[in-house]
Amino acid sequence: MAAEDMGKISDRVRLVFTISSVIFLIVLAVAPLRNLFSEWKYYKREYFRMADGRPDTKKLLADFHPGIDQIWQPNLNVTDRCVTCHQGINQPSLTDATIPQPFRAHPIIPHRATEWGCTVCHRGQGFATEVKEAHQTTLAWEQPILPVRYIQGTCGVCHRTDIPEAPRLARGRAVIEDLSCIGCHKLQGIERPLMLGPDLTNIKNKTSREWIFKWLKDPRTLTDGNGNISVNGYENEDEPRMPRFRLNDTERAALSAFLIDRKSNLIEPYKFDSRVTAAWEKKPDLVDQGETRFRQMFCSTCHSLAVVRGGETQLIGGDIGPELTKVGSKVKPDWLVSWLQNPQAYLPQGLMPRYGWSDEDLYKVNHYVMDRLTDPDLLKDVRIPEQAQANDIQSGNRLFQQKGCGSCHVIAGMKAQKDFGPDLSAEGAKSVSELDFGAAKMPRNLIPYLESKIADPVSVNPNARMPQYHFKEGDLGSVVTAALSMRGTQTTPGIHALVIADARPEYQAAGDFGKAYERYKCYVCHRFNGYGGTLAPDLSYEGSRARQPWITEFLKNPQTLRPTLTFRMPQFNVTDEEARVLANYLALVMQTNRVDLTAHHPEFTSDQASAGKQLYEVTYQCQSCHTIGSAGGYVGPNLINAGNWLNTAWIQEWLTDPQALVPDTIEPHRAFTAEEKSALTAYLVTLKQSGTVKASVPSGGSR
Amino acid sequence: MKWPSVIMISALVAVAALQGCRQKSSATDFKPPDKAYGSEPDWNNSQQIISLNYQQTQGQRIFYSNCVWCHASATPAGPSNMSNLKPQPPLANDGATLNSLSNDYLQNIITLGGSAMSKSAMMPPWGRTLKQDEIRAVIAFVRAIAQPPYQQPARTSSQYSEK
Repeated sequence: MAAEDMGKISDRVRLVFTISSVIFLIVLAVAPLRNLFSEWKYYKREYFRMADGRPDTKKLLADFHPGIDQIWQPNLNVTDRCVTCHQGINQPSLTDATIPQPFRAHPIIPHRATEWGCTVCHRGQGFATEVKEAHQTTLAWEQPILPVRYIQGTCGVCHRTDIPEAPRLARGRAVIEDLSCIGCHKLQGIERPLMLGPDLTNIKNKTSREWIFKWLKDPRTLTDGNGNISVNGYENEDEPRMPRFRLNDTERAALSAFLIDRKSNLIEPYKFDSRVTAAWEKKPDLVDQGETRFRQMFCSTCHSLAVVRGGETQLIGGDIGPELTKVGSKVKPDWLVSWLQNPQAYLPQGLMPRYGWSDEDLYKVNHYVMDRLTDPDLLKDVRIPEQAQANDIQSGNRLFQQKGCGSCHVIAGMKAQKDFGPDLSAEGAKSVSELDFGAAKMPRNLIPYLESKIADPVSVNPNARMPQYHFKEGDLGSVVTAALSMRGTQTTPGIHALVIADARPEYQAAGDFGKAYERYKCYVCHRFNGYGGTLAPDLSYEGSRARQPWITEFLKNPQTLRPTLTFRMPQFNVTDEEARVLANYLALVMQTNRVDLTAHHPEFTSDQASAGKQLYEVTYQCQSCHTIGSAGGYVGPNLINAGNWLNTAWIQEWLTDPQALVPDTIEPHRAFTAEEKSALTAYLVTLKQSGTVKASVPSGGSR
Repeated sequence: MKWPSVIMISALVAVAALQGCRQKSSATDFKPPDKAYGSEPDWNNSQQIISLNYQQTQGQRIFYSNCVWCHASATPAGPSNMSNLKPQPPLANDGATLNSLSNDYLQNIITLGGSAMSKSAMMPPWGRTLKQDEIRAVIAFVRAIAQPPYQQPARTSSQYSEK
């Protein structure tokens, strides 16, 4: 090649270079242009335009700058650029629903977005600067934003104790606990109780093979006129604790054969006093008398019965024990007598208190249950051979283990099944790659997975062993919320430090009090120093509140203080000695330091009492909530016997600050002067029901 | 020379590239999630569900613990206490009575009680039992369930008078 040709390039090459460099320049220009037209810039401009057109422009644009905004909280692992588009979240003037999103202010909640960021509660991707990537599951980002209906799921990550602000989470946890999910699954924050389902060792004594067969088919005892199933529970739509397992008739026959074949210690039939039997056997009103007694004893506080009202079947009664409408067709009469007499001998961990029965009452109530609470058609459609066949028993044994029955039910001599289902204690933190969607058609992310799996386990896994629960719409959402809150051990140090552990106090009662406390299962309804049920008043400070003679009398003959309550303290027929022990312990031990019972109070004058009456009736009109005698409101307790019931020092302290004594009481805290308090107390202690100590409703003893 | 065609091609490439990045569409096909924090059935028609935000849900909780006894026709315990009171208190969803009262007025009567506002002394003061924020939440809840529905006033009315 000639030297002068070295620097020369042919026209053709030059053209190629020209074109390619122009294209290159344009492509280079695309990058800044892309940035200029990006979504977040669009929202920045829109916000600016909106703020510009409002009277409070200056305030709205005080922090405005054209770049990407972010909330950075390194200890919470938060780098949230959500505020780049959601620019008005801290502007109180942008709360109105007419403000278009993403500019609306965040509703007022206890945690400020600037301190917590957004993704701590809402999930989603804080780094993302595109709408889709921030909110949805994409290939690159796995965590979708939580729909608002599940947002309480994140409250539960730190708040392991229920908080009133997150009712859906609390409900979900309660449902999970009620339905004994812990039987098969490991769950965060839920402990396995001593007993889940009843011990089935001696079920032969209790019921028939036919009934077991029927129960396995349909673990409910009620069907209404239209054949719709209503279930035992406080609301007709609630799920029963025993789910309906996917079993066919052969399997049900096998399981029932296996269960009825368990060797059990046959119970000796209870021998009633022959005089009682002789006196009552022939009485035409035996069953009616039994029903009256059943009602007087307030069995309905824990057990419900179906009642037809206005053509509609309704369950009336509590949900602590099983619904009893057809129990007479279930249990054997001898078993029922021995159960009523001492339920704790059959199920030591059960919740049923051991009543003090007279033979007469036991005889009457037993007849009532076996005669009235029955359904002759209940077992009509059950067709299985009377005698259990050996091969049925064997396959029943196998099924019992295959279906995980041993997760909830104990049978003596059989190994309890533990962790039958998968560990769910970190289910809420699972990423999409850990979930098995099977052939199900649904968006690939955790939320639809949980919704679908909990609503119908077979929907994502055709071979699921988990039975199907029929949740109400709201409850399904609550359970999903609670499942989302279970996210295992928090690895982010900032969040780990924030976890407020669930404190579950235990209350141990010892000695004679402990025996009576266990016998009557006081803690099923009452609360003692944070432990126990919430159906009945908290007794932690009962000794400060009530006078000991009153407690003794109340235990022997509980009369409700609140006329509208449907659930009342049952008539246990406690003995004099037990009443003395219980009252003595409550009066001396269950006290608060706020109320000094030993402090000397000057005698009240009659002038004070009449001034108090004036305050009660005219100035403060306490009768709007409290009844004295028959006049007054239903909201607070009846005060007709306040003088015998309440300690003077308690009344004084109660009038000073009721919430300091009972934190969730709805008695309004008022600013009474010292004179007013004394006058009101003086009046209240004069309210004594004469003869309450002696006169009482029939106490249920043999008469 | 073919300059025009070169420019044409480059322009086409640029337009195509810009089209690709103007993903305005993704913003519109994004479906916002269910907005309700809580819900309450319309008291006059239980088929109708009113969705509540966080504050209204807190108000709902406080209402059902403290106020429901006298301001509803049925209560968690059964019968309402309304019939025991004279004058009878308004139902919480009674928009005809409550909509004309300002938020400040309601805040005051709940905080200070009926007698402080020259109304029935049967309405107790709740200012020492509930926090101001809690009372605000109750008012927000009452506004949400009002029938006829509550309309926010154009101007703020007096906190001292009913109207």
